[in-house]
Amino acid sequence: MTVTRRRMLGLGGGLAAALALRDPAEAEAGDVVEVTMAGTGDGSRVWFDPIGIRIRPGQVIRWINRDPGNAHTSTAYHPSAFDRPRRVPEGAAGWNSGYLLPGEAYEVMLSVPGVYDYYCIPHEHAGMVGRIVVGAADPAGRPGGGLPEAALRAFPSVGEIMARGIVRRG
Amino acid sequence: MKRMLSLGAAVFLGGTTAACAGALDKSVATSPPAAPYQQVSKLVPLPDFIPGLGQLFVDPATLPAGPFLAYDRDRKLVSTIYMIPVADLAPDKRFDNLKAAGGPVDHVDVYYNAGHPGVAVPHAHVVLWHVPESGEARVAK
Repeated sequence: MTVTRRRMLGLGGGLAAALALRDPAEAEAGDVVEVTMAGTGDGSRVWFDPIGIRIRPGQVIRWINRDPGNAHTSTAYHPSAFDRPRRVPEGAAGWNSGYLLPGEAYEVMLSVPGVYDYYCIPHEHAGMVGRIVVGAADPAGRPGGGLPEAALRAFPSVGEIMARGIVRRG
Repeated sequence: MKRMLSLGAAVFLGGTTAACAGALDKSVATSPPAAPYQQVSKLVPLPDFIPGLGQLFVDPATLPAGPFLAYDRDRKLVSTIYMIPVADLAPDKRFDNLKAAGGPVDHVDVYYNAGHPGVAVPHAHVVLWHVPESGEARVAK
């Protein structure tokens, strides 16, 4: 059984922007784009798949935990969630899924264009982070700093996401 | 479960070696073990049964290291587990005289874990198996 919770973030203008913007390098999925929370059987490696994705404003990101032996979160780098550094666009809200057990899912709609960085609470120090580009962003953008080194190392570049649309790590 | 390292754990655990030869404590032989052990999935958000480990119990006062007691689906003890944060493997930190709470140890696995609720930092799982290697299948899934 899959349990899903959903939040809508930054709704203003999202639908109009979604209709106006289409780009081959954006995720081809429909209105909901899925990101899997995954891990090896012994828990030695954990990751978001894809780790980087580009979507249209107004699309919904759906995280689902498919790791049978662990709990994960999707938590935005935002002062509203544990007073972490803001790594979402100005005007965009943060989010925190809370712990998702295997089979559980959480959704947010992202409508403010820009770069969104997020992490898994128990696995940030193991580099379990993800990056979403909504619409367009400066390929050289996203300053670093203020995060564990393992997290900073793991992010795909904005340029790679802009060019490929979806970035995976094996 | 993938075997990462099965030698040297007794040395790492200091005084554990002597305890390994002890008899099984009947109060922990089947789940649920006697107090102060509590079911891990009721303390932190984790699955009730973790593939590769089993159903876990711990005395909260001993977190994060443990020992954690792991049981199969027939409620029988299969292993005693310690979870040692990688950052604590440092010159000024020691883990001495850890007990093999489940009694005699057949073999030991040591491997890296990226973290999970309860021990939310990279750490080492030190698994003292009380069953033969073939018995690990009892908690594989």
